[in-house]
Amino acid sequence: MAEYFIRRLLLAIPTFFISTFIVFTIVRETPGSPLDRAIMELKMSAATEGAASSNSFGGSGEIPEEALEELKRFYGYDRPIWRAYLDWLGVMPRQTVSYKLTEGTPRNIGDGVRAIANIENGNWVIRDYRDQDRVIDTWTIDTETKVADNGDKQVRIFKEERSGILQLDFGKSHEYRQTVLELVKERLPISLQFGIIGLLLSYTVCVYLGILKALNHGSAFDLTTSVLVFVGYSIPGWALGAVLLVMLGGGSFYDVFPLGGFQSDNYETLSFFGKVWDHAYHFVLPTIAYTIASFASLTMLMKNSLLENLSQDYIRTAFAKGLREKRVIWIHAMRNSIIPLASRIGFIVALFLASSYLIELVFNIDGLGMLTFRAILARDFPIVFGFAVISVIIQLVGTMLSDLALSVVNPRIRFK
Amino acid sequence: MSNQKKETTPEKPLTINQRRWSKFKGLKRGYYSFYILIGAFLLSFFLPLFIGSKALMVSYEGELYFPALRATWNHATWGLVQISEYVPRDELGQEGGGDEGVNYRALQAQYELEDEGNWVIMPMYPYDPFEDLGTEGNKVFMAPFETESYTVAGMELESTPRIFGTDNNGRDVFSRMAYGFNISIMFALVVALSSYLIGIPFGALSGYFGGWTDMLLQRVVEIWSTLPFLFLVIIFVALMGPSFFLLVALLAFFGWIGISLLMRAEFYREKSKDYVAAAVSIGVPTRQILVKHILPNSLVPIITYFPFAVVLNISSLVSLDFLGFGLAPPTPSWGAMVGVGLQNITTGYWWLVIVPLAAMFITLLLTVFIGEAVREAFDPKVFSRLR
Repeated sequence: MAEYFIRRLLLAIPTFFISTFIVFTIVRETPGSPLDRAIMELKMSAATEGAASSNSFGGSGEIPEEALEELKRFYGYDRPIWRAYLDWLGVMPRQTVSYKLTEGTPRNIGDGVRAIANIENGNWVIRDYRDQDRVIDTWTIDTETKVADNGDKQVRIFKEERSGILQLDFGKSHEYRQTVLELVKERLPISLQFGIIGLLLSYTVCVYLGILKALNHGSAFDLTTSVLVFVGYSIPGWALGAVLLVMLGGGSFYDVFPLGGFQSDNYETLSFFGKVWDHAYHFVLPTIAYTIASFASLTMLMKNSLLENLSQDYIRTAFAKGLREKRVIWIHAMRNSIIPLASRIGFIVALFLASSYLIELVFNIDGLGMLTFRAILARDFPIVFGFAVISVIIQLVGTMLSDLALSVVNPRIRFK
Repeated sequence: MSNQKKETTPEKPLTINQRRWSKFKGLKRGYYSFYILIGAFLLSFFLPLFIGSKALMVSYEGELYFPALRATWNHATWGLVQISEYVPRDELGQEGGGDEGVNYRALQAQYELEDEGNWVIMPMYPYDPFEDLGTEGNKVFMAPFETESYTVAGMELESTPRIFGTDNNGRDVFSRMAYGFNISIMFALVVALSSYLIGIPFGALSGYFGGWTDMLLQRVVEIWSTLPFLFLVIIFVALMGPSFFLLVALLAFFGWIGISLLMRAEFYREKSKDYVAAAVSIGVPTRQILVKHILPNSLVPIITYFPFAVVLNISSLVSLDFLGFGLAPPTPSWGAMVGVGLQNITTGYWWLVIVPLAAMFITLLLTVFIGEAVREAFDPKVFSRLR
C-alpha cells in the first residue's frame, strides 16, 4: 500500500512537469500570445481597442511598458522554449533584477547603492557613484550595448538567480502590484471553503438519497426524486445559481438572500454570532450551486451501485442466515456499493475547479476563479501561469485522493 | 391458443437493432422527447419563415417579392454562402434614407394606410435576432410584452409586443433565444462527432494492441486529464479571438478522452472473444478486424453516451458564452444573454437570465430523457432484489 502510494507520487512528478510544460507552451506559443499581443497593443494603443473589450466583462487588455520588459525576461522570450521553461521552473538561473544604465548617468540599483556606468578601454565598467574607486562586480553586464535616440549609450546589468515555481516564485502581478503567491494566499481559503463544504454536502446528500432510492426502487418516492435528479442533470450549477440569484436576490422578485459577495460590507463591526450568521447568509446560494454540479451523477451512481450489489449472491446468503435487513444493507451491501463513489472524488475536484470561475463570477465572490478570470482579461500572465500550476497540482492531488479513498473502502484492491 | 400459434407461419425473429428500437419506442418519455427535439431542430433551420423581420411575401404594384427566403437560405447555410438581404427603401415605395434597408414592419403599416392594393405578409413573430437600435422602434431593455410607439416616415406606429423583451442592444430576446437553439444544437452535434472521430481510433488501438501502445496512450490520457480544460479554452479564445471552428476544435480536443476510455474497455473485452480469434486465424487483415468485426460490436457504450455528450457540449457552450469566451458576437447565444442580465441584476432585467436558461434547461432535459431511454433500450439492466 505505502509502496504503491510512493510509486504513485513519483509518477505524479513527471506528469506534473509534462502538464505544466504543455500549459506553458500553449500560453507562450499561441498566435497572439502575451508578448505578441502586448507589443501590438502598445504600438496601436492610441488608435484602437483590444479584442478583449468585446468580452462582456471588459478589461483593458493593455500592458504597461515596464511590465512588458519584465514579462519578456520573466518568460524568457529571448530564449528557446525548453530553456525558458527550465528558467520558469527555477531549475536554471535566470535574470531576476535588472537595470538599464546610461553612460555617465548615476542610478540607484537597490540596497542604497548608486551606480554609474562608463566605457573604459572599450568595456563597460560599473562603479559606485559615491566611491568611484570601487568597481561593482556582483552584477553581470549585458554584452549588448544599446544606443538611445539621443545618442546616449546604454547597457543593462542584471543578477542571475534560480527563481521559479519550484522556489515558489510565481512572479508579480502587474495589475495588483503584489506577488502571485500573496494574491493566491488571500483567495485560496475563500474558494476552498466553498469547495470543501460543497464536496461534503454533495456526498452526504447524494449517498443518503441514493440509498433511499435504491431501497424504494420503483416506488413513488423513487419516481419523484428522479425528477429532481433529471433537473439536476439538466442545469449546470452556475446556471441554477444565476436563476436563484435573480429570483431570491432582491433584484427582480424576492429579497431573501444577498446579491452575491462573500460577506457584508459591515462585516468587521458585527458580533461573533453576527459574523457567523452573515457568513451563513452569504453561503447558502453559492453552496447550492456548487452542490448541484455533482448531485445528479453521484445520486444515480449510488443508487445503481447499491441496486447491483443487492442482487448479488452474498446478500442472498446474508439474508438466508437470518441477519436483520438493516445490517445486511448498511454493513454488507454499503461497503461494496460505495466503491464507485470513492473513485469519483478526483473527478469532482476537477469539476469544482472548473465551476469556480462561473460560480464566483455569478455570485461576485473574489476567490481564485475570479482572480484568474480577471487576470486572463487583463493579460496578467504571472497570475495565469500561477493558476495553471495550482490547478495541475490540485488535479493530481484529487486523483491520488480518489485512489486513497478507494483503498480505504475496498481492502480487496491491491495497487500494484 | 397453442394451436393457433402453430398454424401461423413462424415470423422472422427481430434483429437486435429492431428489438432495441421497439424497446425505445416503448419508453414513451424518451421517445416523445426524441421526436420533439429532432422536429424542433429541423424546423429551426427554417426559422426566418417564422421569426424574423424580413417579410415572407411582398406585393408591390402587382409584383411579388420573397425577402424571407433569402434570409432562410442564409440562416440554413450559416452565412457560409452570403446572400445580400438588403433591399433599398425606394424599391418598395417606402420613404427614408438611401442607405437604409426596408423596414418591413413599417412597410406593412404603410401599405395598409395607403390602401392601394399592395400588401405584406410578415413572419409570425416579426423580429430578427440581429436587428438592434439601428432599426426604428427598437429600445434597450424592454420588458416582456412591452410595446413601444414610434414614428417612421411620418407614421405613428405601435410595435408588436415583444414576448420576452429586448436586451442591452435593443435586440429581441425571444428571437435570439429561438435562433440560439439552432446554434447550440448544431454546435453540440459537431463537437460530439469530432470528439468521437478522435476518441474512437485512439481507444480502439489502445484496447486492441495493449502493451506499449496502450501504456503510451494511457500516459497521454493521464496527462490530458490533469490539464485545466476550461482555463485553456479561455486562454485560447482570449488570445486567438472567438470563432465557431476554433471552439469546436478546442472542445473536441478535450472531449475525446472519455470516449477513448469507453472504446478501450470495449475493444479490450471484445478482442479476447472467439469470433476475433476465428477472424485472425483465417488471416483477415488487422484493419478489417478492427473496423468490420470488433467496431460494430463495441458501439453500445458510445451510442448510449452520445446524448450525454450533447448535454455536456451545450452546457459548455453556454458557460463559455456566459464568460464572454464563446462564439463571436453578435451570434445569438444563450450564455451571453445571461451575462448581460447578471451584470444588470440590481435593475431587475430578469428575463435576460431566466429566458435563455429556461431554453437551455428544456433542451437539456429533453436530451437527458432521450439519453435515459437510449441507455435503457441498448443496455438494459434488470435489478432483481431479494426482499
